[in-house]
Amino acid sequence: MKPFLVLLLKELKSIKKEKTILFAILIQFFIASFSSIILIGIMSFYDPTSIGDNTHVTIDVGVVGNNSKTMVGFLEERNLTVKPYDNINNAEEAFQQGEIDTIMSIPPDIDGTVDMTLVLPKADTSKTLILMILNEPLRKYENYFREINGIDLNYDDMEGKPHTTREFLYAVIIPILMLFPGFIAGSIVIDTISEEIESKTLDTLWSAPISLNQILGSKVTAALIMAIFQCILWIILLRFNHFTVHNAVSVLMLSFMIAACISLSAAMVALYFKDRERAQFVFSIILLFVAGCSYLLNPSPFDIITRLASGDHFISTCSIFIYVIPLTILTCIFIIMSKRLIRFKT
Amino acid sequence: MKNILIISKKEITRVKSRFTGKSRLIVLSVLALALIVSFFVYKQELVMGQGLYTIGVAPNGPAITDQRFNTISLDRETAIPSLYGKTIDAYVLPNGVMYRGDPRSQYAVSALKKYLEKEEIDRISKEYEIDLAFPLRVKIKDMEAPEFQPNNTTGNPLSSASGIEQDDTFEPTISETGKDISTESEIIDTTNGDIEATDTPAGESSLIPIESECDDEVLRQLEDYHNSNGLPKFEAEFVSDSDIIIPSLMTPPTPLAQVILAFLYVIPIFFVSVFFTSSFIEEKVNRKLIVLLSAPITPLQIILGKMLPYIIYSIIAIITITLILKGSVFLGLAIFIPVMLFILAIYLMVALLYRTFKDQTFFSVLAVWVITGYLVAPAMFSGVSDLSYVSPLTLAVQMYKGESFGLTEYLLSTVPMYLTFGIAVFLGTRIFNEEFLMGFRPLHTKLADAIYLAINRSHLYLSVFFINLALIPIVFMVQFASIVMASNLPMPYALWVLLAVSIIIEEIAKSTAIVVLLKNSVINSKRQILILSFISALGFLIGEKLLLYIALSVVSQSMFTEALFGAGLLIVPFIMHFIATASVCLLTARFGVKYFPAAIIAGSVIHAVYNLYVIGVIG
Repeated sequence: MKPFLVLLLKELKSIKKEKTILFAILIQFFIASFSSIILIGIMSFYDPTSIGDNTHVTIDVGVVGNNSKTMVGFLEERNLTVKPYDNINNAEEAFQQGEIDTIMSIPPDIDGTVDMTLVLPKADTSKTLILMILNEPLRKYENYFREINGIDLNYDDMEGKPHTTREFLYAVIIPILMLFPGFIAGSIVIDTISEEIESKTLDTLWSAPISLNQILGSKVTAALIMAIFQCILWIILLRFNHFTVHNAVSVLMLSFMIAACISLSAAMVALYFKDRERAQFVFSIILLFVAGCSYLLNPSPFDIITRLASGDHFISTCSIFIYVIPLTILTCIFIIMSKRLIRFKT
Repeated sequence: MKNILIISKKEITRVKSRFTGKSRLIVLSVLALALIVSFFVYKQELVMGQGLYTIGVAPNGPAITDQRFNTISLDRETAIPSLYGKTIDAYVLPNGVMYRGDPRSQYAVSALKKYLEKEEIDRISKEYEIDLAFPLRVKIKDMEAPEFQPNNTTGNPLSSASGIEQDDTFEPTISETGKDISTESEIIDTTNGDIEATDTPAGESSLIPIESECDDEVLRQLEDYHNSNGLPKFEAEFVSDSDIIIPSLMTPPTPLAQVILAFLYVIPIFFVSVFFTSSFIEEKVNRKLIVLLSAPITPLQIILGKMLPYIIYSIIAIITITLILKGSVFLGLAIFIPVMLFILAIYLMVALLYRTFKDQTFFSVLAVWVITGYLVAPAMFSGVSDLSYVSPLTLAVQMYKGESFGLTEYLLSTVPMYLTFGIAVFLGTRIFNEEFLMGFRPLHTKLADAIYLAINRSHLYLSVFFINLALIPIVFMVQFASIVMASNLPMPYALWVLLAVSIIIEEIAKSTAIVVLLKNSVINSKRQILILSFISALGFLIGEKLLLYIALSVVSQSMFTEALFGAGLLIVPFIMHFIATASVCLLTARFGVKYFPAAIIAGSVIHAVYNLYVIGVIG
């Protein structure tokens, strides 16, 4: 056990010396920083109306038409400034002078149908933004006419907090943050092993009274310690930002087991190919393959993390511990095969 | 040219030799498996957050097919304790929903509302005449307007998102009452107490539908709405914005499909990058570099020779993808060649600056994130903000939306890419020597050495001038990244932090070359320092104003750009740049290179005072 610990400490020291851990944290900080901007970007794909929700911009709406009282009410509910105009010409003049941002011309309804005209700026960007701000009042106005037409929409009076941010955080960001350190760990294992093989230092080390598995095990363990350290750091960082990762221990255990599976596979790939170039390339394809396969699982590791982190009551511990099986199998294969793999000529 | 081709040929042979015999078989089978799995994943509907919400549904309630909802069939008697015990987030009845006031339940309800609204639109579109179901049609009329100036901005949309989420620590107490509950501590019931109510089909309405000219448009949008499943269609030819809007069928034009399509171009380049960087590593590890350098071949030829196969491969990939997606090959190449060169430039730097294998991995991962962030993040805002034009992917998004872009937009997004490539190749040729490439030194020393090697000592002044000019695109990109990072902070702080960071970055950029010369004792007199500071400030200012000229014509109104690039007369900012740089360099000369960071702070203070004066905070 002692030589193993010595090697492990050596690995960790080299990580410290090369300041690689700083890079890892820098990368994560970068992701974190981007997350809020990407958040809105992706959220707008995921749920286009969220742009309207996240915009506190208010606009001045010019309204023309005698039949507009109800609409004005909906606009004011959204905290928009409404300016009434007698006729469309006056309104258009005000629009061109920049006094109002948009004009709603509302004719009287004919048999429950209204053809409203909306004047918008030609520029694409402001047009989109204004449309998104007006979306909610327009929908309410539409429902108002539906009611007049005798159509009753169910579930239209539900309220709730805008969910997109939370959904995106738990469904995308947290799983990525918990699994990403594992991917990096795999890459690091390939780096350290292939570096030792390519610079022929592994042979020297092996001639000392240490088994090959101890040498390789120390490298895998060092990478795993780093991975789990990053995951813990993330959970703390998220906490500082008022986001709670529920069931943190279970989430960490799952992340650890997945990182361990990845690292052991990476070690075997590195032992087989013996050079960084091929090993990294094959590793990245295998990762793609495994990620694809795991997505087809139900529940996928991604979903398990999502559900655990969001505090779901119906996720069983069984779905975490099932990952002990591949981990055990991979560990056994690794222990048995390591010597054979390294002697394999490619 | 002949030498470049020889090196290219060698590079192709090298990569080929990597995959012979058994390893080729293994790589090909793994690749095939990955492709098959990717195909199956693509065939499945991509759902993020499966089972994120746990919803109880009454036996006669609606069928909820969205996989985000983990649904459990419950009768009312068991549902209420479950809701109370927080094991379910909401309870759906045929005509309403019961939920709690705590955030967890509220988020679930908001998601549920979106889903059920869509189902309801589906229902009424089938049950009623379209005139009745979609009574409001909004005709859009475009009109030239002055610059859009939203009033009363209480927070920027970027910073507000991070503040939305709250902890789920709120403990609710439950009591069942009517629907008009406003406190967070009670169950909210939207069923109006009439649980057994069922929908009344309204086939026979007294209103006679009048064929409106808009009906066809409604039908078309309705069809799109059914097909799209709420998300924009994944296809190259995007349906352009309609002139008639039906509020409940309206999906704002989000460029998701286009951004994914645009990103497809980048992936093949990322995949082969490991071979490109490894080509240099191998030469370093096997000490072949020494042999290569002694041959009658220039570093530029070696770099371009090694790069050429990857450039050709990327061009083929760009053309193939464009043809498959039925885009314009000319535009595709015009947009993605600079992107490809930019990525290769970054990987060239990764290959030349790394010290150990682990470095290489981290540099590469960092490079992937930086490149992806820089390219994708702005493109997601295409059509929403003009700032999106900093990324060439925005141009591709425009192309696949069937919209046009101007030459200024093209230049704004691609010139920094071309320049980065030029600078990287130039720097690469200067640092391509054994001592630099083989050495293991701290990163900042390595960067300083690289700058020192880049300076032509027989044309000292000219070198410093061009280094400053060339640094502009890099400063621009770093400052852009800092905008992104600053957007995490609340508004006034974001602006201050941004101001401070951009000043410090500019001061470092302007003085580094001179300080490197000081460190290597190439210069020592105050006169030389002052002249070099003058030249450095001049180079920087010219570069800055050139960029400003392009930027201003695209990004017309943004507080950030205003703060970053300033404005006003040329002579005053020049004097400021000169004084700040001279102060940094003179202080460093006086106290030693060790105190360079302190000198930077001093120079930044001078710079900041000037900026604050310009903005009007002081004076």
